[in-house]
Amino acid sequence: MSEQGETGEAITILLVEDDAPTCWRLQDALVKAGYEVRSAGTLAEARSALAATAPRVLLTDLRLPDGHGVELIREIRQRFPDTEIMVISALGDEESVISAITVGATGYLLKDAFPTDIATTVRDLVAGHSPISASIARFIVRRTQGAAQSSAEPSPGPVLNTAKLTPREIDILWGIAKGFSYAEIASHLGLSRQTVPGHIKNIYRKLEVHTRSEAVFEAVQQGLIKL
Amino acid sequence: MKAPTRPRRRLIASRLVPYLLLQALIVIATILGLRLLQPSDPDDFAVSGFSLREDGATRPVTLPHFTSSRYSLADPPLYTGAFTFQRDQAASGWSVFLPRFSNAVEIAVNGVVVLDSRRDANANRPDRNTPQIALIPASLLRDGSNEITVRLFVWGPLKGFLDTVYVGPDTALRPAFETRTLLFVTLQVVFSAWQSILAVILAIMWLMRRREPVYGVLAVAMVLGVVQAFVPPPVPPVTTSRLAAVLLASAPTESALIVMFGVLFFGWRWPRYGALLFAPGLIVFVVGLIAGPPLPRILFLTLGIPTVGISLFLMACVTATAVVRRQDAASFTIGCAVTIVLTCWVHDMLSVFEIVTNERIFVSRLSYSAMLVAIGAGLTWRFARALNQVDSFAGQLVARVREAEERLKASFAREEERARAAALANERTRLMRDLHDGLGGQLVSIVALSERGHEGATITDAARAALKDLRLVIDSMDDIGGDLMLALGSWRERATAQLRPHDIALDWRVATPQGLPLHPELRPWHVIQIVRILDEAVTNAVKHAQARNIAVTIETLDGGGGPYGVISVTDDGRGFALSGNGETAGASQTARGLRNMRSRAARCGAVLNLASNASGTRVRLQLPQVFPDSDAAGG
Repeated sequence: MSEQGETGEAITILLVEDDAPTCWRLQDALVKAGYEVRSAGTLAEARSALAATAPRVLLTDLRLPDGHGVELIREIRQRFPDTEIMVISALGDEESVISAITVGATGYLLKDAFPTDIATTVRDLVAGHSPISASIARFIVRRTQGAAQSSAEPSPGPVLNTAKLTPREIDILWGIAKGFSYAEIASHLGLSRQTVPGHIKNIYRKLEVHTRSEAVFEAVQQGLIKL
Repeated sequence: MKAPTRPRRRLIASRLVPYLLLQALIVIATILGLRLLQPSDPDDFAVSGFSLREDGATRPVTLPHFTSSRYSLADPPLYTGAFTFQRDQAASGWSVFLPRFSNAVEIAVNGVVVLDSRRDANANRPDRNTPQIALIPASLLRDGSNEITVRLFVWGPLKGFLDTVYVGPDTALRPAFETRTLLFVTLQVVFSAWQSILAVILAIMWLMRRREPVYGVLAVAMVLGVVQAFVPPPVPPVTTSRLAAVLLASAPTESALIVMFGVLFFGWRWPRYGALLFAPGLIVFVVGLIAGPPLPRILFLTLGIPTVGISLFLMACVTATAVVRRQDAASFTIGCAVTIVLTCWVHDMLSVFEIVTNERIFVSRLSYSAMLVAIGAGLTWRFARALNQVDSFAGQLVARVREAEERLKASFAREEERARAAALANERTRLMRDLHDGLGGQLVSIVALSERGHEGATITDAARAALKDLRLVIDSMDDIGGDLMLALGSWRERATAQLRPHDIALDWRVATPQGLPLHPELRPWHVIQIVRILDEAVTNAVKHAQARNIAVTIETLDGGGGPYGVISVTDDGRGFALSGNGETAGASQTARGLRNMRSRAARCGAVLNLASNASGTRVRLQLPQVFPDSDAAGG
């Protein structure tokens, strides 16, 4: 069986991972699920792979031998806006995942996830669903609280602007952080279950800082930089 | 008790005798001073040979002269004398000068009145030695003998007095008059003005420091003195208000107040019987208000003046005692001042009773005013010194507070550093224990399994468990603000992922949207223990009970003593009572797992209940209302 996009062609995935066994493992799972996978071990390899065509999905590790995955994500986000990006992480810790989210990544994939889960996650991603984990949601809502309490002292960890999030979006994040399912959140908040993934996609887009100049603008807005 | 008494007596004597000798010297000096300060009069122009017509009889007298006391102004004693005038001497005009008289005079030259002192009320005060001078119009004077008549008005109870009369060129008489005016009028006014200012200052001091009545007492005494100095005395037959009359007779009250001031100033209690000292003043006051003149004057003389003397004597005793006890400058100074005033008072008494020859110059009032001013100045000085002390004290205090602050800051920084180090050490210990409990053991087990040549599933399971535990430890370190639901949310994700390959559904039921009550005291190690209990329950259900469905129920209950959370894990497996059959390893593993769960629950102050039968197992974890601060059952 082969996963196909809307055009009927096979879905291409660029997998950037420097640890060979992990790379094989993920590649096996994805190939078995019918995706067309190109793999790269370094930033340079990834860039040369991008020279040919744009992948539908980018899965990248953050710590790479010749640089940081965040640079790659930013480049692809600018060159190929339609590419879905996901981070591969061993622990799914907020520190790395949030910094990837702010440059345009959507969620993360655990390196030890079961093959079926890997395939399911990528399929959902291509279908337009943006998964968000409880711990990431928790980090974001804690940050919105921190911003409300003391704006003078920036919280530790990556810079994250939560000012654009609406109260409803924050409520949804609270529900996710507390382990509620989309259906439960929808019923608590009086929403339709189908609208929750859309809200989450919006949350990702709002957390994204598109350009360097915008990053500076955001920092000034938040009082992190004084002009 | 003899031994201590004798040295004490000797001490008193050794202090008192020099003091008394000093006072004796002061008395002598005062008397000499009074003699020396006696203003000299132009004796060349004295007219002392007069004929006095009194009560119808006429007799020759020599001035100074005392006449009897009387209460009627009708038919006053009339002195008639003569002086010689030569017109060639009259370049500057001639004057008549009266250095001292009491109470009032009317002077006529050649039958024309040139001076009537009754018009100047203050000139008639018997306690002041006001002189009078009057220019004789040139047209009145005749070459050769001229007649001068003096009517002396007397209102009791004191005897009337007329000092030598001087008639001569104004230039010769004026300096003597000026000297007397300066001494007995101007100086008195200056002292009174000074006194009134001090009265205001002392009154303000007392108002601001109510617990020091000494200032108030002195202020009242000074106010009385000022009132007495400035209330115009009535000249009969005019009668002023009775209040003015009694105010003029306030000297006994004033002197009693001074004694009170002395007692309070030296730090003693004012005795209750001390009120008796105010009795004479009060009697003069009350009787004067009721009866009206001339009773206040009579009472003043018979009751008031002796009271003043007694008060001065008491004051002298008080200061002498203070000198003996304190030996300080203040008591010495006041003692000497009192001695001077007392000497002046005695001088005046001798003068009144004509025991010594005199010109009836009263000096008590003047010396008393001087003493009050001296005391006021002394008090102000003391006040200023106290302010200086306060300043230096405040300076010292500021310095000391700064020092203490520095020390405190240093110790606080040390303490903070120590607390931070302790917190860090605690955190490190906890992390070590958590890693040792989970990750360490699992990694060792992976090593062991690989060495024995195991492959596949078992090593994978152990490695997955190790990763799961690592994520749990990292996750638990995150600040969740006391909301256990945030930790359970992550756990649900991990558990779901763990169960998916086994095709087991995790049913997640939260009774209320809020979930569990907030626990501000919740610490990472509580979270780890709770999540490990839940992990253990889920692992048992999967591995040993072969459950198909697992349900996690989260609810908040309230038994009346506040809300508490309950987390239940229910499965539809075989239960672990049956799992022992033929699976000893599994059974012992389950037993160890259960023991672990119980001990973890106990460390968090939670209660663990297990119910298991063939149709399933239920693990019920009842959370405490307040999580324990320290790991009581830890180890």
